[in-house]
Amino acid sequence: MVSFSGLEFLFRLLPVFLIIYFITPAKHRESILLLESLIFYALGEPLFVLVLVVATALNYYLGEKLWKPGNVPCIYGRQVRRRKTFLLLAVGADVGILGVFKCLAVFVDNALLPMGLSFYIFKMISYQMDLYRQKVPEKPGWKQAALYFTLFPQVESGPIMGYAQGGFGSGKGCSLEGFEDGLKCFVAGLGMKVLLADKLAILWNDLQMIGFQSISTPLAWLGAAGYSLQLYFDFWGYSLMASGLMVMLGYPFIMNFNDPYASKSISEFYRRWHVTLGRWFREYVYIPLGGSRCDKKRLVLNLALVWLLTGIWHGNGFNYLVWGSVIGLVIILEKLVYGKLLQKIPLLGNVYVLVLIPLTWVIFAVTDLQQLVIYFGRLFPWFGGEGIAVNQRDIIKYLRDYSIYFIAGISLCIPAMTRFWKRHKDHPLVMLLLVLVFWMAVYSQSVSAGNPFMYLKF
Amino acid sequence: MRAKVKRFIQKSPFLLLLVSTGILFSLIGLCGRKNIYSGQEYAPLKEPASVMMFKGFKDDIYPWQMFEEESAAVMASKEDAGQQNDTAESGAVADGQGDEKATEELPDKAQETDKAAESGEPGDEGKNSQGPAQEADDGAGSPESEVKDGHGPDPAEEAKEADTGRNGTSAQEKEEGSGNGKDQGNKEDQESGASQGTVSDSGGREDEEDTKPAEEDAEEGSKPPEGKDLQERELPNGRIKPLRESTREEYLNHISADIYGDAGVKRAAEYGFSQVDESYFDDALFIGDSRTVGLRDYTDLSEHADFYCETSLTIQKILKEDFHGLGTIEKALENKDYGKIYIMSGINELGVGTTEDFMDHYTEVVDFLHEKEPEAKIFIQGIMRVTGKKHHSDPIFNNDNINARNNAIATLADNECFFYIDVNEVVCDEEGNLNSEYTYDQLHLLGKYNDLWKQFLLSHGVAMEQE
Repeated sequence: MVSFSGLEFLFRLLPVFLIIYFITPAKHRESILLLESLIFYALGEPLFVLVLVVATALNYYLGEKLWKPGNVPCIYGRQVRRRKTFLLLAVGADVGILGVFKCLAVFVDNALLPMGLSFYIFKMISYQMDLYRQKVPEKPGWKQAALYFTLFPQVESGPIMGYAQGGFGSGKGCSLEGFEDGLKCFVAGLGMKVLLADKLAILWNDLQMIGFQSISTPLAWLGAAGYSLQLYFDFWGYSLMASGLMVMLGYPFIMNFNDPYASKSISEFYRRWHVTLGRWFREYVYIPLGGSRCDKKRLVLNLALVWLLTGIWHGNGFNYLVWGSVIGLVIILEKLVYGKLLQKIPLLGNVYVLVLIPLTWVIFAVTDLQQLVIYFGRLFPWFGGEGIAVNQRDIIKYLRDYSIYFIAGISLCIPAMTRFWKRHKDHPLVMLLLVLVFWMAVYSQSVSAGNPFMYLKF
Repeated sequence: MRAKVKRFIQKSPFLLLLVSTGILFSLIGLCGRKNIYSGQEYAPLKEPASVMMFKGFKDDIYPWQMFEEESAAVMASKEDAGQQNDTAESGAVADGQGDEKATEELPDKAQETDKAAESGEPGDEGKNSQGPAQEADDGAGSPESEVKDGHGPDPAEEAKEADTGRNGTSAQEKEEGSGNGKDQGNKEDQESGASQGTVSDSGGREDEEDTKPAEEDAEEGSKPPEGKDLQERELPNGRIKPLRESTREEYLNHISADIYGDAGVKRAAEYGFSQVDESYFDDALFIGDSRTVGLRDYTDLSEHADFYCETSLTIQKILKEDFHGLGTIEKALENKDYGKIYIMSGINELGVGTTEDFMDHYTEVVDFLHEKEPEAKIFIQGIMRVTGKKHHSDPIFNNDNINARNNAIATLADNECFFYIDVNEVVCDEEGNLNSEYTYDQLHLLGKYNDLWKQFLLSHGVAMEQE
């Protein structure tokens, strides 16, 4: 797997990709980008690149049968049925591929799950659905379709962009301003990933090393908060890097996180967290099932199904099912019981989200259910979660070591920070700060590169 | 064209800033490659040259030191102009090529090295030198010189290097100190070389050490770099000499060679330890790495004893460490009279240098402790092992290497002032690996299992009457 934050990508692969891309005439850039994307994927998955290529070819072929211009309605029933058949075939094949590899990963070996499969299969399903719904105005050529599926900034971990969002087909011009903007996003994302998420990851690792039985309750809460920030900056940082790269290459910016921790309800949180995945489930699962425009019973069923699927999508452990179910349950309760109350008292909503979300992330993080019970016991010792060999002063040590990351992380969760960024990202001081962030990240990567014990200093 | 450039500058200030700083840092890295960064591995295809500068920061090597070293480096390159002018380059390239090549090419070249030693005769000065300066060179120096040999330097170079060493050029030492692919090793060795090396000795000694293994190897196939020296040493009373010498392969691999056997462990086990209560630790000092941090944080021993422990501590760093503001060990010993000093160190430096280096540092540390606190009983604790999973998957952090080093330090025990105790007796499974139920990360005891260690210590007291 080639990591965007790795030195090899930053200083070798990316510059070469960009130079080749930009010296190529605009009309051939899509071809070059497609080639680069396949090389990028093959570098990480020399064997499974075949899965990507086969799935791409299959989806292009079936998609071609589906396509119809947006302004031409289907008149004949036979035509409608034929399109439906191809849609079912395409979606069935995609779900089948994902299902088979997921099962292989669960029952045989985790290494059998191709990199980014969940993401590019979701893009493929989205592609077929959009074609079926006639949301794609111009018929995609094989190059555009293949590029959409394989785009190297998105192929590993999204964002799950819609085909129409990409603006494929038009020759990609070279805008210096666009490149600058993309580069700034990329560097900001790199900083979040390397300087925040990777550092906070050490805290979580430490808790596991100590053993959940032996952490004090304050440290258990600090750990939950730390993991919440770690996950956020890891994924948001990655998404910013991916979207920044897309902008550098002349494509639109895809928003994947929108200050989620400022939400006032869990439903709102998941409209702001991993936005593209939320959109995918809403458009291709929730709404086709009837969405919220149905009776309460059906609504509950729809939400439960969507969140169960979301849980399964996120990982192979049983804990992901529990996590998805808990989120689904809370969202159902919000829709039916106390959602309006949260809207009325904004502060209550904020506190509710900031307490509940870290708890759900703990479920997400701890794959062993027995350990999960122990962790919750430490979070709520009043209900009998007694620890063993607990060091009650451990929080002091960890606050001393990690408060800087918490301060930086929490600051970046405040929406005002996003507004500041949008308004002042071209200010010379902000640019200098970004240059500093970039080199600090490179420093951090330099001194830990090749060290498998980055997280484990004994 | 001018307008275009102007437009570019106006529209892309951030890109320009990044590129220009990148070029600057890379230039620094490339310029320093022949002197201050010569000990570093550098893979041009995988990383930018600026990485060398950053890695340097970590080792307290800063770009401006390049100019301090420059004059000496220029002198050196003038001396061996022509055929030698690519020495640093080949050395650096060789770094990345690792041990195999060195091993393959060595036998033919070994004699050359030998001749170099004879013709240059720079080694006598440091023949019996020991201690930190020696560490700097031994840790990684010899294999590096092997690598160089593989690239065909001649006797003049060897002589030059020794001379430069004598003249006090620590950059040259560092170059010698560059490792065989184990970055950490280089750093440690450089550190000790730069900070402690008495250069006049190390220069000469280095040459001898470089050439000795090659010489012996050429003649007999498999001989140690250090063994002879070790055997010639006047060992303090009661200390056990190595049972054998490290093999050539072990030496080149820079990982632990079990050259001591279990003689020290056996002798240490002859001592009859006794059960003590917690008050026994009231005058105890614990020194160690993150594993000792676990003992401090997850048992109540810290209510009795003082703990000077720090994550990622190594035997090389122990005497210099400030321990989060507590101060150095020396200060601790000045401020309080300790009756017992416990030390566990060795896992972090497992990939650093050789058993011989480790042993030298360890000896230096325990001798220092003994000198400062002559009445104290010094407990040398065997390095805690790793789990079987780690043992089987890790070329460095495995139990073979740990055992070899434990065998080495156990020889320091005289059962009078120095005692060797091994907590592995209570935390390992039947196969001698750390019990996987006791750890999450294969290395550290889970908080609650530190009690096993505490109980072990309680059962391994040195009774007063025996004192």
